Amino acid sequence: MADPCLDLRAVTMRYGEGPDAVAALASIDLAIDDHEFVTIVGPSGCGKSTLLYLVGGFLRPTSGRIELRGRPVTGPGPDRGIVFQRYSLFPWLTVRGNIAYGLEEKGVPRAERDRIVEEHLRLVHLEGFENRYPRELSGGMQQRVALAQTLACQPDILLMDEPFGALDAQTRRILQDEVRRIWRRDTKTVLFVTHDVEEAVALGTCIVVMSARPGRIKEVIARDFDVADVDEFEANPAFAALRLRIWRSVKQEVEAARP
Amino acid sequence: MSSRARSYWAGALARLLPLALVLAAWQAASMSGLLPKAVLPSFGEVAASLGAMLRSGEIVPHTLASFARAGAGFGVAVAGGIVLGILMAQVRFVERAVEPVLLLIYPVPKPALIPLFMIWLGIGDFSKVTVIALACLVPVVIATFNGARGVDEMLLWSARARGTSERRILWRVVLPAALPQIAAGVRTAIAVAIIVLVSSEFISAETGLGYLIFSYGGVGADDAMLAVVIYLAALGYLLDRLYLAGLRRLMAWHAFAH
Amino acid sequence: MPSLTEHPRLVAALTRVVPVTLILLAWEGVTRAGWVNPFVFPPVSEIAMRWLALLIDGTLCFPLWETLWRALAGLGAAIAVGVPLGLLMGRVRWAEWFFEPLFSFGFPLPKIALIPLYVHWFGLFSLSKVMLIFTDCLFPMVIFTYHGARGLSQIYLWSAQSRGTGRVRMLWRVVLPLSLASIYDGVQVAVVVAVLVAVVSEMVSGGSGLGQMMIRAYRHGDVRTAFATLLTISLIGYALYKAAQWLRGRLLFWHVAES
Repeated sequence: MADPCLDLRAVTMRYGEGPDAVAALASIDLAIDDHEFVTIVGPSGCGKSTLLYLVGGFLRPTSGRIELRGRPVTGPGPDRGIVFQRYSLFPWLTVRGNIAYGLEEKGVPRAERDRIVEEHLRLVHLEGFENRYPRELSGGMQQRVALAQTLACQPDILLMDEPFGALDAQTRRILQDEVRRIWRRDTKTVLFVTHDVEEAVALGTCIVVMSARPGRIKEVIARDFDVADVDEFEANPAFAALRLRIWRSVKQEVEAARP
Repeated sequence: MSSRARSYWAGALARLLPLALVLAAWQAASMSGLLPKAVLPSFGEVAASLGAMLRSGEIVPHTLASFARAGAGFGVAVAGGIVLGILMAQVRFVERAVEPVLLLIYPVPKPALIPLFMIWLGIGDFSKVTVIALACLVPVVIATFNGARGVDEMLLWSARARGTSERRILWRVVLPAALPQIAAGVRTAIAVAIIVLVSSEFISAETGLGYLIFSYGGVGADDAMLAVVIYLAALGYLLDRLYLAGLRRLMAWHAFAH
Repeated sequence: MPSLTEHPRLVAALTRVVPVTLILLAWEGVTRAGWVNPFVFPPVSEIAMRWLALLIDGTLCFPLWETLWRALAGLGAAIAVGVPLGLLMGRVRWAEWFFEPLFSFGFPLPKIALIPLYVHWFGLFSLSKVMLIFTDCLFPMVIFTYHGARGLSQIYLWSAQSRGTGRVRMLWRVVLPLSLASIYDGVQVAVVVAVLVAVVSEMVSGGSGLGQMMIRAYRHGDVRTAFATLLTISLIGYALYKAAQWLRGRLLFWHVAES
């Protein structure tokens, strides 16, 4: 078997020091293979975003190892593309400027840059909006730009931190299909954090349920069936069963977290 | 003219109407004798006086003198204030060292420094420029510091995740993200510069618009005095508008409050 | 002895106090060493002694009182007139149409330039100064009250209407409390303006007060007294600013506005 794309071993995370310290993550072991779409779901405050920030290299684990393709993660870098719920885009750059940003930092020549930007504008269906500023776009369009900006850097793994959490239900459904489409096309490795069980099941080929704080991995469930787009899950009994099973698992944790 | 431009000008004209009404009421009160000339000359007389001053060119050297003083102090303050504010936001030691000094000079009404600086630096332009610079420095430093310190961490993370080095982050992220606040601080500094300028020219000067207002007021030439006041107000207003228009052009990405 | 790094709070406190202390010590040292003309640049200890002496023998007290009462009288009048006017502009169409352009045009203009006119109208003594302070403070009071009254959520007004609150009562019962935060912001600005205008008008047109004391010290070349006066002015400015901050959330301001 090939080495995993991302490998977390005995990763723990504590915020603060001494008696005031808060344990956010308690010993996480997780290996993610290439081309896998992994969703992480859990009660709020379970440390699922923290886990993503650790992989991103924005935070340092208190102990344990995180390796991407066998190299330890020591800080943020363009090999891991990240889409946040908000603030992924620079408000002072146009859509084009935002998508080109990472390429400029990499020193990609201008002609090549323009070609990649055009390609990614088409990919997220934003042709004609390249000269708009983020504030002129709807939340859904902003997240499309964030996705295009991240993909343009050709990361080894795509990290998504509740990227559709601030969107309305209709926009969210459409963007979920887009993300599935892009993932199928590029078969990128994706690590996707959400608190929405339905989203976790509809997107993830592999669903990780986390426990209440301090977060640990409660169970890892593979989804061994698939459909063309998210709508078709509605009438799928296997989907309904899996969603219910995962919701019960999460609900247990939500109730456990209540004092 | 596009319909958007037309509605903009219509809106601007509607806003000028109350001002025109006040001026008309002033003129009517003067002409009917309700408002004696000894209390307030009529608007027509003030306007005529302003016209005469502009035609004769009498006001030009005073305008230039005032501009030079305010501009020099303001320029030094903006350049120094932005550098100092960024340094404070980036280097903990600088913040801790400068902050108490800033707190110390913050509550001082800056024109009150004029007499002291006149003792130190003489009654010439140098003391005036120094006080104007000091007065303008405070809002620029505070705005720059708040802007640079308040940059959303997610933006910094986004930049790092896209391969921006720590050294480039200052130019690529911190400075553009802080720009709206810096711009607001600079706008305050324009108003501050004019207030300190006029105060200092009232206290001691042989040239400048403040001096002109004061000396006309001293000899009871109220129409000429008011003419300079209105001229100064219009200049200040124009500067502010020009600055805002420049900002809108430069920062099309930012949603300005007004 | 504990090391400094173990006490971040101690370090923070030291780095706050040390720079100011160093500046004062350097000032004292340089002036005592005779490197500068002590007549122009006296040692900081002598300034402190002068300030204490002027405070004890009462020389400072009368000018302090003059400046303070003028600033407070002008400010109080500006609040008493500005708040009702701002509320009216915020809720009544014609008042907004007429006053809003006048106040937003006049706000950035240097009202200090009107000193000679006000002296001509109201004389050389206190009245002209209080009137100018009133004029200058009126602008921030009106503008901030207006923005507070205008920006509040329509929902509050609807729920008050449905409970039978009439148009005029609405201003006091609903609009005023909801605008209070913005009004307080206006007071914070106006307090600074009041002290500044008081001092400048005293410097320009005499009539006792700290501003005139400052100018007199300058004419006599008495740097020690000039510094002592400056210190007093700054203390007034600081104290009034702090008092306005302290009043936030307390109902004292409410009584002033309603009377």
